[in-house]
Amino acid sequence: MHEMGIASEVIEAVRVEIARHPGARPSKVGLRVGEWAGVDVESLRFCLEVLVKDTDLDPLALDIEFRPQGSELDIAYLELEE
Amino acid sequence: MERVAIEKKVLSENDRIAQQLRARFAERGTLVLNCISSPGSGKTSLLERTLEGFPPETRVAVVTGDIQTDNDARRLARFGFPVRQITTAGACHLDARMVEKSLDGWDLSELDLLLIENVGNLVCPTSYDLGEESKIVILSVTEGDDKPLKYPGAFAKSRLMVLNKIDLLPYVPFDMEAARRNARSINPEIEIIETSCTAGHGLDAWRQWIGARIHEAARKEEPG
Repeated sequence: MHEMGIASEVIEAVRVEIARHPGARPSKVGLRVGEWAGVDVESLRFCLEVLVKDTDLDPLALDIEFRPQGSELDIAYLELEE
Repeated sequence: MERVAIEKKVLSENDRIAQQLRARFAERGTLVLNCISSPGSGKTSLLERTLEGFPPETRVAVVTGDIQTDNDARRLARFGFPVRQITTAGACHLDARMVEKSLDGWDLSELDLLLIENVGNLVCPTSYDLGEESKIVILSVTEGDDKPLKYPGAFAKSRLMVLNKIDLLPYVPFDMEAARRNARSINPEIEIIETSCTAGHGLDAWRQWIGARIHEAARKEEPG
């Protein structure tokens, strides 16, 4: 399945964003996933957990907004703690 | 705590390459059709029958994707048209970069039609734009007539559903009307053609559908 590749792209985007905020620690990333995006949400959640575990991003909460009849696959926001 | 808006599409790099491909195809008037389905629904057989029916001067090429083997490319190459195999080595879908690389050395202005046979999978290929003009979903009657409801993304994003292997209808409990109704409940605009690659049913309608789309692609290319 391709969820691991998607999870990797999310992590990459998180790292790009935290580089713009020196000293801040990411606490939560928000995604929008459409019903028709071809993504298994639980599989994506699992892949992100695996990629984050025991890294400097651990723990990183995941907030997935599921959009019925949508095709979205977006990284919506990142929450940072100072 | 601070919330920072990112608003970035995942797969944006794939989408960027796909948009470049779409612009190249449009500029050269090449119609590109991305065929997706479950494994075993008859994509390769449909393409074989399609190529078989084209006169030798037809400007058509095929890119076919599989996880392993070049069996499909060898089957399709028998008809004398250019064929390239993409072996994904485990990936469950084609992506735009794979397609871009597969086009190396082909002059698109010499092609009216590029048929892409995606990896057999009704989920992941729907996420990856390949720069195609249309997605086509192939559903065979040996599968369930509720498949449009189970895999809505593939049907929502396709312009055409090909209901294939209809010669087997006497032997399988497949409700054609339910399949049509289910597909249209997901995508009211979806067009439907019924085919049998072994008995030849519906292949003329399928070729006419392709012909009309080629004509449309060429018309859009004309200046003014």
